[in-house]
Amino acid sequence: MTSFARWAVVARRELSSALRRPSYWFLFGILVLVAWGFSQGNVTISSGDATAGGERSHITSVFAQSMLQSVLITAMGAWFLAIGAGLVLIRDAEQRVGEVLHSTRLTVREYVWGSFAGAVVAFLVIWSLFLGASMGFNHLLATGADSPQIGPFVPGNYLVPALLLGLPQIVFFAGVPFFLGAWTRRPIVVFAFPVATLLVILGFLISWSPSWLDPAINRALMLADPSGFRWLNETFLKLDRGLDFYNTAPLPPDTGFLLSRIALAGAGLLAVEAAARNTARRLLRGDTDSLVIGFRRGRREAPSPVAQAAPGSSGRTLGELAMRTDPPGFLTAAAAIGRAEVRELTVRAGMYLFVPLILYQSVSQALFALGPFDSPLLLTSGAMAARQFNTLSLLVCVLLLFYTVESLMKERAQRFAEIYRTTPVGTGAMLLGKTAGNVVVAAGILAVALIASGAVITVRQLLGDPVGFELWPFLAAWGGVMLPTFLFWTAFVTAAFALFRNRYAVYGLGLAMLIYTVYRMNVGDALSWVANWIAWNSMIFWSDMGAFSLDGRALLLNRLLYLSLIPLLLALALKWLGRQEFDATRILHRLRPRAVLRSGVRLLPFALAPAALASALFFGSRAGDQGPDAEEARKDYWRRNVATWTDFRMPSVSHVDLDVDLEPSSRAASVSGAYTFVNHRDHPYPELPITAGPWDPIAWTLDGEPYEPEDHAGLFVFTPVAPLAPGGSLTVGFEYELQYPRGLSTRVGGRGQFILDSGVVLTAFAPTFAPVPGYLPGIGVDEDNRYDPREYPDDFFEGETEPALGWGGRPFTTRIRITVPEEYTANSVGRLASEELREGRRTVVWESDHPVRLFNIVAGRYAVKEGRGTAIYHHPEHDYNVEEMSAALDAARVHYSEWFHPFPWELLKLSEFPAYAGYAQGFPTNITFSEGIGFLTKSDPRSHAAFAVVAHEAAHQWWANILTPGRGPGGNMLSEGMSHYATILLHEEVHGDRYRIEFAKRIEDSYGDGRFVNSERSLVKTDGSRRGDNTVIYDKGGWVMWMLQQEMGRENLLAGLRAFIDAYHAGSDSPVIQDMLAVLREFAPDPEAFDAFTAQWFFDVVAPEYRLSGVTKERAGRGWIVRGTVENAGTGRMTIGVAAAANERWSDAGDAGTRTVVSPSYRDARTSVELDAGESAEFEIEADFDPERVLVDPDVLVLQLRREAAVFDFPE
Amino acid sequence: MLEIRNLVKVYPGPVAALQGVSLEASRGMLGLLGPNGAGKTTLMRIVAGLLEPTSGTVFLNGEDVSTDPRRVRRQLGYLPQHFGFYPHLTGAAMLRFLLVLKGVKAPRGVKRLAAELLERVNLQDAAKRKVGTWSGGMRQRLGIAQALAGNPRIVVVDEPTAGLDPEERLRFYRLLAEVAEDRLVLLSTHIVEDISVLCPRVAILTGGRIVADTTPRGARSRLEGAIFEGAVDKHEMEALADRFEITQAVLIEGRNRVRVHAPDGPPPDGFEPVAPSLEDAYLLLTRNGAARDGERPPETPES
Repeated sequence: MTSFARWAVVARRELSSALRRPSYWFLFGILVLVAWGFSQGNVTISSGDATAGGERSHITSVFAQSMLQSVLITAMGAWFLAIGAGLVLIRDAEQRVGEVLHSTRLTVREYVWGSFAGAVVAFLVIWSLFLGASMGFNHLLATGADSPQIGPFVPGNYLVPALLLGLPQIVFFAGVPFFLGAWTRRPIVVFAFPVATLLVILGFLISWSPSWLDPAINRALMLADPSGFRWLNETFLKLDRGLDFYNTAPLPPDTGFLLSRIALAGAGLLAVEAAARNTARRLLRGDTDSLVIGFRRGRREAPSPVAQAAPGSSGRTLGELAMRTDPPGFLTAAAAIGRAEVRELTVRAGMYLFVPLILYQSVSQALFALGPFDSPLLLTSGAMAARQFNTLSLLVCVLLLFYTVESLMKERAQRFAEIYRTTPVGTGAMLLGKTAGNVVVAAGILAVALIASGAVITVRQLLGDPVGFELWPFLAAWGGVMLPTFLFWTAFVTAAFALFRNRYAVYGLGLAMLIYTVYRMNVGDALSWVANWIAWNSMIFWSDMGAFSLDGRALLLNRLLYLSLIPLLLALALKWLGRQEFDATRILHRLRPRAVLRSGVRLLPFALAPAALASALFFGSRAGDQGPDAEEARKDYWRRNVATWTDFRMPSVSHVDLDVDLEPSSRAASVSGAYTFVNHRDHPYPELPITAGPWDPIAWTLDGEPYEPEDHAGLFVFTPVAPLAPGGSLTVGFEYELQYPRGLSTRVGGRGQFILDSGVVLTAFAPTFAPVPGYLPGIGVDEDNRYDPREYPDDFFEGETEPALGWGGRPFTTRIRITVPEEYTANSVGRLASEELREGRRTVVWESDHPVRLFNIVAGRYAVKEGRGTAIYHHPEHDYNVEEMSAALDAARVHYSEWFHPFPWELLKLSEFPAYAGYAQGFPTNITFSEGIGFLTKSDPRSHAAFAVVAHEAAHQWWANILTPGRGPGGNMLSEGMSHYATILLHEEVHGDRYRIEFAKRIEDSYGDGRFVNSERSLVKTDGSRRGDNTVIYDKGGWVMWMLQQEMGRENLLAGLRAFIDAYHAGSDSPVIQDMLAVLREFAPDPEAFDAFTAQWFFDVVAPEYRLSGVTKERAGRGWIVRGTVENAGTGRMTIGVAAAANERWSDAGDAGTRTVVSPSYRDARTSVELDAGESAEFEIEADFDPERVLVDPDVLVLQLRREAAVFDFPE
Repeated sequence: MLEIRNLVKVYPGPVAALQGVSLEASRGMLGLLGPNGAGKTTLMRIVAGLLEPTSGTVFLNGEDVSTDPRRVRRQLGYLPQHFGFYPHLTGAAMLRFLLVLKGVKAPRGVKRLAAELLERVNLQDAAKRKVGTWSGGMRQRLGIAQALAGNPRIVVVDEPTAGLDPEERLRFYRLLAEVAEDRLVLLSTHIVEDISVLCPRVAILTGGRIVADTTPRGARSRLEGAIFEGAVDKHEMEALADRFEITQAVLIEGRNRVRVHAPDGPPPDGFEPVAPSLEDAYLLLTRNGAARDGERPPETPES
């Protein structure tokens, strides 16, 4: 028999054995489901904001398949490869086949390489079946007009990703665990590898890509990422290249990436060779089953000659020992077993691998956490505990899966089972002891992570962070919420092991459950509270202002449910995990219906508590405002009213009078009030519709008299005795009680508005606490009844345009009386007219000192920082950025008043609310701010979120409230884009060019990452209805105004904007972009240049992308001449600066709070070129210094894509 | 009192490991002798409550332990044929762990008891080393220590002397003999010497059936005057085997020293009558499947 033949025999044996393993069946099942899901369009691929080609990209394209295969192998394949390949040699060692095998002619290398080949080929067989299933589902079953996600069949689209991204990963993820198994003979070390790689890849290599990252580091990370996803994403996907590109272009790997893939596969093969050498050395030593590395564990020693040759014992008899037997109690035995488990687990190598991994995870969570505008976050203890919750839960569950199975397998693997099983200890005590031992280890890991987190917070505090360490959030989140998960999971794994009695089956089931859970919680519809066993994402909405305030009840029931399942699972485990081996011929006897029924009846008591808790959760959430009844009511509202009322234009509200009595502890409010309507139009109104919430009963009045309007499923239609004539008015009154949120939520999630003990935030956008005039077209609309975006004619804005924000018609006055518990402060729009304390209740009256179009209420237990005509209401412990935010608010009030329009109200307030919602909103005089935005960010010259968000929201006082944009395309840009533009200006004004440049770069990157080439429309056509519209409205909108300022000149533009606001702020015609441009043109020094600019930036879609090539420098006398070519690889015609520069531009002096200054050593010399799309031009720059780099657009004046590529560094 | 009635065990295959085994024993040492694959370990595991029989019953002191093995665990000391321990624990810690699980107590405490038990099996010097570093013989002795701990009512030992050197084997014999004075010890082995030294009663199992249930003396006495020993050349062996049942043949200085069974006729030339050994009886019984001789074993062991 040749060497190859022997190798092939081993490989065939391993292949056959691997394909019979249940874990591969599970993998195959999951992959088939994934393939089916993709073919049906049920599953889409996305990475952050970047989705390949938009909603109708072909899942059959090479890019989509690359993403799919890359992620699937990393996230799923790595686990199964670790089990499949990593355990091969361990299994053989446990089965003591080594010495027999190696007494044949089989060489170690043949054995090791053959075993590896068998394991890898088994995975490749499964992977090939998956690819085959994908091709079949995609091209045979899902073709046709109903499957727009399916493109033409191109075999290369499947095979190229498999070879380029899949195969190297497969070899690597099989080879390294294979070596680890051979080297350590410890399954836990093998399992640690995919955990570690997954953490590094998913937690860092793929996800960490701040826009300010150095391109060289980015490139290194691309090549270092085993999944290849970073390379794919950064090179092709992050910057959307359009549907055509993704659906038809090939995937060309660059040389560096190709070499990195070869190196990755090579590393896997080298690991196999190392395994062969290790096995050979082990055989030479005659050591076939021991650990060669040890942690607190001695090497195998030769038997002590002293011990062997010791003389006999003293000859005393056993009787002298006076032994007696008294079988141990349940807890005594369980404690003894638990102690033995802990002792063993703590000397296992796996512990010492997982602890550093967890430390890495904890530290990286702190170091790499980014907030708005990629700003570093200030991590409070609560935020830190919450941010680690998901990963830590998952990580420890994976660890527990392996530890629990190995613990249950241990006696069998160590041949101790027969002695162990004949002890008089009850099986329950055995299971409890093992479970407790494992959970103690899990708790120990949490303790280590807690210490690490505390250390990180403390070190950061010593380095200047203002946030200190607190213990209770960790105890609450990890101890209270996470620990029950571990108890449940351990019991579940134990029961699964008792059922299958097969290590591979339990691993497969456990991993499948984990993968499915994470998938459902991140990609599809999140699991309901009943099914969310791991409480995944339950900590996402952590609030320092009141933890568990939103979903605490649902979470408590959920935790109790899974704790109550533990006795049931252990009872099942006890039933299935008999210590006596069943006789095969008696199994049928046990499966008789009567026997099964009897077993079921015996288990019934264990099922009562879980059933009761599950019912409470299920029915409680159904009865809530997210439940099916509430959803059906909203649908009914849409069905009954959409046809009748969609285009109905309401008369104006002239005054709002509200009395809101809030009881945050019970989420309740009593509301009464009245709206006065004035008919500002030229036709009478026979009917007036008003939308109300699910408040039953509502006592309505019409002009002071009790009235019963027609109830059209929540749209109440008032029919006055006489139609409301032009110029006439009427008053609608109402009174009701409400609870919001009502009932339990159905699943983990935030809320936009709420009345909670931790804080209150309510707006008049929707009928959450106050009726809204007219029909609201967004209510009851979901994927089933969503219409295509409305197409507006080009001249839609001619004549009177309805406002995009607020209630329509004209601005109105308000008087809002709010009563809250004494310790709360309640804010609303306008100025404080009165404040009164009585019987532990605080009553405040807010009156508008200038008309508004919207109102809101925010309340909480606040501390206040007062500025110059401004005030910041914040959680007392969140004072870290308050000084800076107050300064920003003051500056905004002063400068925006000067630049745009005088501020018409007395006071500008900003109030913090709990992070159960994550937005900030600029209501008139009453800005609301989630705690996660600004209050908990860290100022950095590269990103200055606290300042930026305040500046943006403050700008809405002018660009939304004073000047309310019109409804329709180009309207919202006047609110959001203008606020971004105002933020750029305020950055420049307060902190200088460096901060302005960095902010401009952040929103430029956001535009590059978030735009969708195929669906992007010009600014005047963008209405927010398409994916990617937001970044156009916000980021591009702000940038285009900044560029327009370069075009017109700063003072001309500001004068034009003042004139624009003056023209529109008080009228009933709300403007859009075209209206603004018409005004601004009057102020343009060069109207033709103005037209050319607006034509490409407002009425067209252009995106310049500059490239440098052939850049050289040479001495010329005492100076230098730099030459090169700059090309516009994108679109648009712009004049662009090119600079040769040396040394760092900005001095470190003058960071947060002051204007930045240019470093004295900085030098640059400049030229400029004008380039149209696809044009290139040579440039020449004379410099009197030795240039270090050449960069395009040094002052960041032109919006462009991939700015980081338009830099050339001279080699040193 | 152990009562085994018509015990049948069929493994998937099917393989009939036990085919209607019945035995009774109350006190003393009962040796279970049989060749490899005879069903000894299967029988031991069923008695120890580790294996469910296909049919038949095992009663211990009137309680059916085959259907409820919990009943036997409180009274059992068990040493399986192949076993191991937690390799990361020291010998002392491992034994203490088992003593706690078995509920074994002693006036001077479990820790001291573990030390003294280790001394009884001559492991006192290795007590603080991890079991994973021990030799096979040392682990066997630890197994013996745990099986004998706590005055179990019934001790089941399966091939206990495998891996022990002669000195340790003698030590084990002494311990086991002491234990067997006032309780039942079920000893399974294929080493005839173990039985001859220790067991006043022996059951010989082959092919899943009991072919003899007797005393060593009774087994030997059946062959009295029928065993002869002599030396033959190698080429004569075949002819000798055709005429007589050879019970033992040992090659000494180029010639075979042979014992033959000649119950009915004259012995081979040059052969002298010798006292029959238990090994002669065992080999003849397992080869021929002789029926039990009907002799009742004594109730107390003979010394």
